[in-house]
Amino acid sequence: MREERLRRTMMFVPGNNPAMIKDAGIYGADSIMFDLEDAVSLAEKDAARFLISEAIKTQDYGEAELVVRVNGQDTPYYHNDVLAMVKAGIEVIRLPKVESAEMIKQLEQDTLVAEKKFGKEIGSTHLMAAIESAKGVLNAPEIATASSRMIGIALSAEDYTTDMKTHRYPDGAELEFARNMILHAARAAGIAAFDTVFTNMDDVEGFYRETRYIHQLGFDGKSLVNPRQIPMVNEVYAPTKTEIEKARDVIFAIEEAHAKGSGVISMNGQMVDKPVVLRAQRVMRLAVASNLIDKEGNYLGK
Amino acid sequence: MEIKSTAMAGTLESSDIQITISSNKSGIQIDLNSDVAKIFGKQIKKVIIESLNALEIKNAKVKAVDQGALDCVIRARTLAAAQRATHTAEEPEWEVF
Amino acid sequence: MGYEQDVKRVNLKNPYYLKKWENLLQKVDIQVSTEVSIDDITCVGVFEADQLIATGSFQENILKYIAVDPTYHDGKLFNLIISTLISTLAQQQIFHIFVFTKPIYQMSFEFVGFKTLVKTDVGVLLETGDTAITDYLATIPRIANQKNCKISAIVMNANPFTLGHRYLVEEASKSSDLVYIFVVKQDVSLFKTTERFHLVQVGVSDLSNVRVVSGDEYMVSYATFPTYFIPDKTNIIRYQTEMDATLFKQKIAKPLHIKTRYLGEEPFSKTTEVYNETLKRILPPEVQVEIIPRLKINTQIISATKVRKAIQQNQIETIKDFLPNSTYNYIRDHLKILQNSIKEGMNIDGN
Repeated sequence: MREERLRRTMMFVPGNNPAMIKDAGIYGADSIMFDLEDAVSLAEKDAARFLISEAIKTQDYGEAELVVRVNGQDTPYYHNDVLAMVKAGIEVIRLPKVESAEMIKQLEQDTLVAEKKFGKEIGSTHLMAAIESAKGVLNAPEIATASSRMIGIALSAEDYTTDMKTHRYPDGAELEFARNMILHAARAAGIAAFDTVFTNMDDVEGFYRETRYIHQLGFDGKSLVNPRQIPMVNEVYAPTKTEIEKARDVIFAIEEAHAKGSGVISMNGQMVDKPVVLRAQRVMRLAVASNLIDKEGNYLGK
Repeated sequence: MEIKSTAMAGTLESSDIQITISSNKSGIQIDLNSDVAKIFGKQIKKVIIESLNALEIKNAKVKAVDQGALDCVIRARTLAAAQRATHTAEEPEWEVF
Repeated sequence: MGYEQDVKRVNLKNPYYLKKWENLLQKVDIQVSTEVSIDDITCVGVFEADQLIATGSFQENILKYIAVDPTYHDGKLFNLIISTLISTLAQQQIFHIFVFTKPIYQMSFEFVGFKTLVKTDVGVLLETGDTAITDYLATIPRIANQKNCKISAIVMNANPFTLGHRYLVEEASKSSDLVYIFVVKQDVSLFKTTERFHLVQVGVSDLSNVRVVSGDEYMVSYATFPTYFIPDKTNIIRYQTEMDATLFKQKIAKPLHIKTRYLGEEPFSKTTEVYNETLKRILPPEVQVEIIPRLKINTQIISATKVRKAIQQNQIETIKDFLPNSTYNYIRDHLKILQNSIKEGMNIDGN
């Protein structure tokens, strides 16, 4: 199983804006997604490609996972986007408007060609798909498993709701099926699920409501358009004191079992199975990321 | 490579640099406009010249209007303007990426 | 991400936007000149909520109507507007850009790469782009020891070149070591710029101390003197003629050591008359102004306007005596094209 990393926040950064590209690392986003697609006008596609490429090669974005949204496969920019980003050493290529496994297989092939062309480690470039249509939603399971390079799938609700002949509502009922479909496809494939952006910056309550909801469903995190939303998502994803204490007990039990050389982990006389271990590890990672515990694992409080 | 027509890349917004490249009879001539020209002028010009060298552009007139761009931005904008000016934006020179 | 503002195209044909635009310009005390048609300018703006907070426009390669709401006094919006205008022009392959602005904005434009060409009490003319006045001057032919020679200049539109123009050139030629004829470059006259230039060249080819060069964007152009091309706008032409005259004196005459500028006497065009008055006021003592009376043929004063009227009325024999053979033959051979151009609305009453 692929190492699971925290992907609570994927922040969109317009690909032709040096000020935003420069500052992208300071907000503590788990993933930074440089956008070559919608945020860049047609006349600036070439310039944005150079800019992102140079930024990836020279700027320190710390622990953040670096993602680039390339232009769609039906555009004349796609091939050069993929080549340039692989050459620059991007971690993840996000393909927009994915509707079928074939599109991901095509991307996988193009990525492989680029890795070979530029002498990059084969398989080092990961992929993710943005689902933006009814067809994409229905094909989500095969898209999620289309390549071993896949690390996640994301819902992109603006185009999706247009395709569904609706628009976005505050309660999100119009996205219910798509969210669950994408989430199930991701979980079944063992990859991450990202929820769509929330664009109304003035509706803080609405943002919290939606974030709590997708957290409850089980999404890894959300795509974001504004860095102000990062602490808000992290707050929702922060584990409670009880969760942390329970997780710490589980981790302690694991360490004890290891020390004894025992393969069986037990706690309070009950066997601890794999899902419990995974959850405990995830809670501890979240607790660390949320600065809720110190190095020794002591709870610091909010 | 030869400059075929004037081209520009970059903006006048914060942290950017606007680069205009046009043909020149001989050599590289840079007209730099920057708040920080006294301190960083040499470095900015150096990055521009290196970027042009990477594309083997020997003769060019460059107008640079800097708004506090990082080296990576200077390089990106120079390369973008140069590829536009040499009419090669659609077939990028992969060595320089 | 962060505080981001979008620049949008502003459709001034829509009264809703026009009103907002006029309000913002009024706020910063910019007059919209009545002779500029909104159809001819491209306008962009930044909106916050429903309010226009910054705007800028261009017409051809000239930036106009730059305004930022005074309540947003950071330079960010100004840079954003100018940057958008320059990028939009660049996409049309236009890189050499001018702006005429109030003296208080001189620094703001210089900060974004513009260079001041000339400054008068009412305004500043600046340029930026892939070429500059120094590049233009480098293309002007010179003679040995020019500094100590008697150099003269004539600026003419020559629409078309007549014996009246020829007379003016001869007068200058007789008393100078070298005469520059700067032919107006703006292509808005009945005779195209290339035609005007060619007819001047042919018409003076026998005069060895005369050099015919383009006035480029620096003499009687849309940048220096836009109303020259519009008949009788006496009020607004004063500051424009001052701009044009000061630019000539400081940036053209000085480096080229031009000591005399020859002008034709102007009995017909009010615009040219005001222009001549301004030149007389501004150029001396560094540059002398010589006004040569109009040449008369059979008691008739020669004028290019009469030539254009005769073309319109299909009576070119009546003006044969006004023209050098080269110009007359050219008109005879291109009569239909010229007449069509007039029929299609080309103004022949201005300059």
